[in-house]
Amino acid sequence: MIDPGYISALSAILFFIGLAGAFTRKHAIIVLMCIEIMLNAVNLNFVAVAMQTGDPEGWVFTSIAIAIAASEVAVGLAIFLSLYSTRETINLDEVDLLKH
Amino acid sequence: MMSESKNESQLLLFILAALMVPLGLAFGGGGHATDWSFIIIAAPLVAFPLILIAGQVWNGHPLWKNTLKEGGIPALMTMTITLGVGLWVIVDYIGGTAHFESLTVNHILSWISFDVMAHTANGWIIVPMGFTDITFGIWVDQTTLMLLFVATFLTFLICWFAIGYMTTDEINENRNHRFFAEYLLFTAGMFGMVLADNFLWLFIFWEIMGLCSYLLIGFYYWKPSAASAAKKAFMTTRVGDVFLMVGLLILYRIYGSLNFAVVFDDPSTGLNGAVVDAGLLGWALVMLFIGAVGKSAQFPLHVWLPDAMEGPTPVSALIHAATMVNAGLYLVARMVPFVDVANGGVHGLEDIGLLVAWVGGITAFMAAGIAFVQNDIKKVLAYSTMSQLAYIFTGLGAALWFLNHDGDSMHTAGIIVLGASLFHLFNHAMAKGMLFMASGSVIHEMHHAHHHIHHHDENHTDISEIPEALVSLVKHLRSEGLTIRQFFESLDLDSSRTLTISELQEGLVSASIVDESTDIEALVSAMDRNGDGEIDPSELDRYMMDFLIGGKIESHGGNDDFDPQDMRNMGGLAAHLPVTSTAMMLGSMSIIGIPLIGGFWSKEGIVGHTWEAFLHGEPLMFGPALLVLLTAGMTGFYMSRMWFMTFAGAPKSEVVDHVHESTPWIKTPLVTLSLVTAFTGLILTMFGTVKFLGGKYDHLSFHHGGVFEEFVYALKHAFLPEDPNLMAVGYATILLSFIVGPWFAMRIHGGSLKEGSSAIPLVGWLVKLSSRPSKLDVSAMAESSLAKALEERLYIDYFYEELIRRTVIPFSALSACFDRKVIDGIVKLIEKGSQVSSQRIRLLTTGSARDYILYAAVGALSIVFLLMGVSS
Repeated sequence: MIDPGYISALSAILFFIGLAGAFTRKHAIIVLMCIEIMLNAVNLNFVAVAMQTGDPEGWVFTSIAIAIAASEVAVGLAIFLSLYSTRETINLDEVDLLKH
Repeated sequence: MMSESKNESQLLLFILAALMVPLGLAFGGGGHATDWSFIIIAAPLVAFPLILIAGQVWNGHPLWKNTLKEGGIPALMTMTITLGVGLWVIVDYIGGTAHFESLTVNHILSWISFDVMAHTANGWIIVPMGFTDITFGIWVDQTTLMLLFVATFLTFLICWFAIGYMTTDEINENRNHRFFAEYLLFTAGMFGMVLADNFLWLFIFWEIMGLCSYLLIGFYYWKPSAASAAKKAFMTTRVGDVFLMVGLLILYRIYGSLNFAVVFDDPSTGLNGAVVDAGLLGWALVMLFIGAVGKSAQFPLHVWLPDAMEGPTPVSALIHAATMVNAGLYLVARMVPFVDVANGGVHGLEDIGLLVAWVGGITAFMAAGIAFVQNDIKKVLAYSTMSQLAYIFTGLGAALWFLNHDGDSMHTAGIIVLGASLFHLFNHAMAKGMLFMASGSVIHEMHHAHHHIHHHDENHTDISEIPEALVSLVKHLRSEGLTIRQFFESLDLDSSRTLTISELQEGLVSASIVDESTDIEALVSAMDRNGDGEIDPSELDRYMMDFLIGGKIESHGGNDDFDPQDMRNMGGLAAHLPVTSTAMMLGSMSIIGIPLIGGFWSKEGIVGHTWEAFLHGEPLMFGPALLVLLTAGMTGFYMSRMWFMTFAGAPKSEVVDHVHESTPWIKTPLVTLSLVTAFTGLILTMFGTVKFLGGKYDHLSFHHGGVFEEFVYALKHAFLPEDPNLMAVGYATILLSFIVGPWFAMRIHGGSLKEGSSAIPLVGWLVKLSSRPSKLDVSAMAESSLAKALEERLYIDYFYEELIRRTVIPFSALSACFDRKVIDGIVKLIEKGSQVSSQRIRLLTTGSARDYILYAAVGALSIVFLLMGVSS
């Protein structure tokens, strides 16, 4: 069996990749994808710890998180669609109505 | 009597109904005057809010306006009740039928205390504040009795008069309930002060009177002169009141109580049996006296009284002539037990008497001098009031001086001059209340006659004197539903908060208020108060106010330069005002002290005894003695001058021919008081009132047999006293006041009536007499610097104004600056700081989603690291 430490390390790397992407990219869909990467990095961590301790709660938690992430993506994409229909762009730098 | 008087006389039924209350209590209900005397204070106190509220609710309602005279009838009913109960108390006291021992100290509100509740570990407890026995009770003695009668009787009559005076003038329409309510509150204050059984309640009621005086002087508050007169009266008396309060605190320290019963029981023994220090008590009495000086308008706190004549005439008659100004005298009369060494008073307080007498003498002389040159009929009476009150002060001063000396003759003299002073208070209040009402009648009729001539068929708003443009502006505002301020903003195109000429013109033309050819510059220069060529909102407000409200008021005499109070517009009124001229003649005679009438009986006593004090070896009494003697002659002059200028001679303006007496509401009190003034002086003298008031007799009754013997005794006492010095002084007084003063007045201002008009015989003889002496031309004297100084009230007002400008104004400017810079500065600094910092923080919200993610990540990470730091 793979050492859970490696899996956790992979999860951390994935998380920071997602974080960096969310910071730097302008395209809303890519930012959404980066957020999904971060979410799945956490899920991976859950699975790794569950595997090590033999506690099924981690598995259950992960499957629920994946289901919710799917609906979250659906909502996110719907927001982007309506955003595009009103502003003709999904470039996050141009969507700044909340400024000051 | 005119046709309307038939309807009016039905209103008397209300008065009869009210009369049932005291009668029912006295004859039906059982009990003594003692038990019901509190009604005198309670009735007006209850009626005051009722009238105020009813007046607001039913303002303009025909029943309220015509039947109840906007509160006048309820007020008169209240006054009837107080007069009835007051007379009952007086009769009971004089007759000695009621147990007036308990009347003297009758604690009605003994549950009132000034203690406070405090919460402790044991729950709520009462913490005594030291003022252990401050309760409310009724105190009746001879001094109380005199003031009680004066107050209840005159408030009743003047209320009656006020119904005629106030409700027939359009200016007061729908405002009279305010007048009557404040009038009632005032009477509650006056009765309370007279009846209170301790100095604290006396002071509280004293202040209520001060408040009402302020409110009523400022009854026409939209007139700047009335507003500032009210302020002046309030502030000036306040100076005295501060000293009065200090005096009361010293008294409390000495005696440990302010109750008359405790203090007067043994004035030479203080708290816990300590011997009272004359020096400390002297200071307390001086402080009380300064309070009295402020209230009774004596030098140097006299400046408010002439200005107080801005109030409606019934107010001048009641508050500023007959009752409130007597409060100071009452307070000084209350000092008697402190100095009365024959009855346990404190030795060594002669100086108080001297001080009082000197202040009285100076004021009497000064006010009489100023009255020489006044042309406003009410101002003459105001200075006359001041001068006569000063007489009473001189008499009280002499009484205090006498009573503070050992020896029977000193004590007797003191008692008699005290009684004479209080009797003069009575005579003066009756005469002066009537004189003011008579002057009110003159002013009222002059004003109406003037309107009759000049505004025959116009309504009184005098729209003709308002520019046409303004009338249409008002119509425009009303139809558009705009306020003046909104209208202003709609005109102010560049939102500079000021209107230029072109903006105003454009706006007025577009609202079709004026057309293009109208000369708008004249309007702008009329509005532009600060002269910067532009109109700001406050200037527009002021301009509109002046026309819409002021314009109506100005027609009361100011607009067309006709002053119904100026005696230079009168003359020859004796032919048109028979009742008023007779009343005024009798009142003036009483004030002058014409032998056998009213004030003669008391004035002789005051002048004579002030001289006696001087002759008894007090050289310092010479000043007051000489001053009051001279003032007697001056009184003769200025009162006669007023009468001759008003009623004798040829008319000095066309208005006079249209004057006539109308409403019975005004005539009835004048007739009543004429009779009182003419006869009560003699009658009460025959009953020994002077000695009764001084406290020598217990009851009022004849002491020398029947009516005739008593009459002869009174005459002999007045004209042939045993002491030759007194006789000399008495005849000098009579000579000066009866012969010299009126003689000069006749030569200067007398004269027969116009051809064809005649006066009733009661006053006709005086008019004829006045035309006999050869004329004296005083125009050169009138130009002199002394006359000028008198006209300017000896520059005392200017001096005070200058003093205030030099001291109070810079100080208030400094404190205003402190307030603006430091107090406001700190608040503004905090406000500014938070605003600036919030502006800075707001910059963090960039609106970019990625920045928010960054903040969230940084925040989450720092929480994680913090937790790690804490747990490790």
